Amino acid sequence: MTLLQVRNVTRRFGGLTAVDDVSFDVYEGTVKALIGPNGAGKSTLFNALTGFDRPDEGSVVFEGEELVGRKPREVVRVGLARTFQNTQLFEEMTAGENVMVGSQARQRRGFTTAMLRLPNAVAEDREAREDASRLLRLIGIEEWIDVPAADLPAGIRRLVEIARALATRPRLLLLDEPAAGLNATETRELVQTLFRVRDSGITVVIVEHDMGLVMEVSDEIVVLDRGAKIAEGPPRMIQKDPAVIAAYLGGEVDDDV
Amino acid sequence: MSEFLQFLVAGLKNGSIYALIALGFTIVYAATGAINFAQGEFFMLGGMLCVSFTDLGMPLPVAAVAAIAATAAIGAAFELLAVRPIAGDSPLRIIMVTIGGAVVLRQLALHFFGPDERALAPFTEGASLKAFGVAVELQTLWIWGLTALAVVALALLYRKTAFGRAMRATAIRRDAARLVGINAGMMVTVAFALAAGLGALAGVAVAPLTQTAFGVGAAIGVKGFAAAILGGIGNPITAVAGGLLLGLLESFAAGYFDPAYKDGVALVVLLVVLFVAPQGLLAKAGRVKV
Amino acid sequence: MNARTLRALAPLIAVALALIVPLAVSDRFLLKVFTFCGINALVVVGLALLFGYAGQVSLGHAAFMGLGAYTSAYCTVELGWPWLLGFVAAGVVAALGGLILAIPSLRLKGYYLAMATLGFGLLMSLAFIQAEPITGGVDGFSGIPFPSIGPVEFRSASSLYWLVWGAVGIAVLVAHNITSLRPGRAMRALHGSELGAQACGVDIVGVKVRTFVVSALMAGLAGALYAGVVGFISPSLFTLTASITFIAMTIVGGTSSLAGPILAAVALTLVQYSDALIPGLPRETAQTIQSYQEDIYGLAIVLIVIFAPRGLAGLWKRRSAGNEAS
Repeated sequence: MTLLQVRNVTRRFGGLTAVDDVSFDVYEGTVKALIGPNGAGKSTLFNALTGFDRPDEGSVVFEGEELVGRKPREVVRVGLARTFQNTQLFEEMTAGENVMVGSQARQRRGFTTAMLRLPNAVAEDREAREDASRLLRLIGIEEWIDVPAADLPAGIRRLVEIARALATRPRLLLLDEPAAGLNATETRELVQTLFRVRDSGITVVIVEHDMGLVMEVSDEIVVLDRGAKIAEGPPRMIQKDPAVIAAYLGGEVDDDV
Repeated sequence: MSEFLQFLVAGLKNGSIYALIALGFTIVYAATGAINFAQGEFFMLGGMLCVSFTDLGMPLPVAAVAAIAATAAIGAAFELLAVRPIAGDSPLRIIMVTIGGAVVLRQLALHFFGPDERALAPFTEGASLKAFGVAVELQTLWIWGLTALAVVALALLYRKTAFGRAMRATAIRRDAARLVGINAGMMVTVAFALAAGLGALAGVAVAPLTQTAFGVGAAIGVKGFAAAILGGIGNPITAVAGGLLLGLLESFAAGYFDPAYKDGVALVVLLVVLFVAPQGLLAKAGRVKV
Repeated sequence: MNARTLRALAPLIAVALALIVPLAVSDRFLLKVFTFCGINALVVVGLALLFGYAGQVSLGHAAFMGLGAYTSAYCTVELGWPWLLGFVAAGVVAALGGLILAIPSLRLKGYYLAMATLGFGLLMSLAFIQAEPITGGVDGFSGIPFPSIGPVEFRSASSLYWLVWGAVGIAVLVAHNITSLRPGRAMRALHGSELGAQACGVDIVGVKVRTFVVSALMAGLAGALYAGVVGFISPSLFTLTASITFIAMTIVGGTSSLAGPILAAVALTLVQYSDALIPGLPRETAQTIQSYQEDIYGLAIVLIVIFAPRGLAGLWKRRSAGNEAS
């Protein structure tokens, strides 16, 4: 079943067309990768999908709901959670508190109930706390729960950000270069986490440079070059696609390829 | 008609002062991306130092140059001592340090110069010029002349000298400037010194007309910032235009409505510009790369 | 006693200490000084929420205090309202003022937000002088009645002390509830990373506006209390200098903390009243200290921001974290 429909999305910055008429579908329960040389428009497309940027043309439909024009917080409430290429953790808060913030996307209680410490505000708080420790346990990093984000190693930071995104209870998780800056061991842990996330029924879209990782985890791959989609298909087909090979070899050769 | 012209003259006189302060904001902003909340204190220091130097027996021109040079040095020291340790940090910390620094500068002035209002003798003695039913004080001519001189000198400095080119390069890309061998830290110190010097020049030039005191910095600083943002911050030419425009607005509001409104005009302009056109004005400062 | 038990007991100890002050202190002037400490602490609790938790600047908080003070004065003196009603009105007017400023301002960031609040503060101090029919102009507003709630009037120094610190206690409770539950985490989150907070579904403008309104409300109530305690207010109380004093207290106190800023508010308020604090202090010495009071605030801001950006609370937390680890 199609969970996300991306149709003819175009984004221009001045004279530059960063994303050029890109369309693809994401099926429920699968892992889809967006790859392409540097400057191919992956991050711009990502921002357009999650409400952080507004495409000039095209539509993004999630379960029948149009997402273009919605604010990031509305998009996440619909069920799309994201992480960032440069992790956007709350540095002075602990790993556990960071994940608890993720629960805000599905909680309702505001200032007044909190001020008066009404039971439902307290109950929400307890629920967020329990959810955070459950998610950190699921990902296998519960021992870091009380450590401030600023003191976490890079690999753990990535995983905490994923846990925080999961706390929003997404149907679709979008990961922007989750393996950037990780060593081999940390990347292994990330792959395990991705499988665990997919197996729990959450659909994943991933932007990634690490080709080994992409080939291992993804069911389907979309290749972008200079903003346009040049290929789409399962990993084995993409590896042999002449247009893809030309794009990577013709442009600057990426270390990871 | 003559009333209109009189307001025009008064507006352009105060506007020149605001333009000089606005230029100070612009220079520091261009070099660092920061707003220096102590900018108004340099105006105060210029005036107060000049008065004190003449009290010590210095001839006025010497006292004026000494006061501007001393204030520029204080500006450089301010950058090195207070701003440098947190350079490149969050705006929040830079705001706080420059606010705290402004308080310290003002209090130092209070302890050194005392709480009284001080006046400077006019640069040239003589009756006001009269034409078309308008009286123009000689000091006003000095203010216009000195402002014009400062603007031209600054333009030449930025356009014609290697130093100015380095400043402009720093303003465009700090990291890239460092790669081509420009000492970005030094540029920032010099920018603070220049900004302080311009503020001091304004303070010296206007002291014979308005008197000065240790506490005048904050109010004039806000007006200068209002002028800078009115013109679109970061651009020296529009900063000057913003200053003159603000002076005119103030003068006409005070003249045609109520003198009590004069000080409120700049504040209203400041708030309106911030609220109505923040995107355009924020274009450089506020963008965070996702 | 380890840090954790100390942490749990600290609020109780603080309340006990605050309660017994009027019993232990017989000097009425000194008691009044401690009452002023409480009024400043009330403003600073609000600023701690705004600045220390949500990371938003206000360089114009004295204006909200002034709005509250003048509203309460006008309602009680000119309109003859009961004090409590004037007190509520003060809170409402200050909160409305906060809302009107917050909605356009809080879309701004960093320098521009700071300038907008600074400009608003200066504009309000002009308004307090110019709106003479309401405020009494530069001469100020005098003859404001003592606070009263129903038949109970707060006249004596000790009853005023308890009234003010009772208000502080309620404000701390409310602030603690906010910070320890969902809104507090949203505030700290957007302080840490606005992008991250948005990705978590936080309505960042909404949270900022609400926080601003709450902190303006607290400042307004503090203003009303000041008017009732002293009986006289004038525009010179609600200036930029006062706003910066509150900021100094908040910064010295530290981020993500309520106790730190309150302690700093008390300590820095006492600087102004060294003569009351140290009996027998020569008058000249007290005056000298007073004339350097603003130097102390200014220097405190600069030094804390450079060397200990999380303030006293940050230093304390680091110490206790170190203790727990060892």
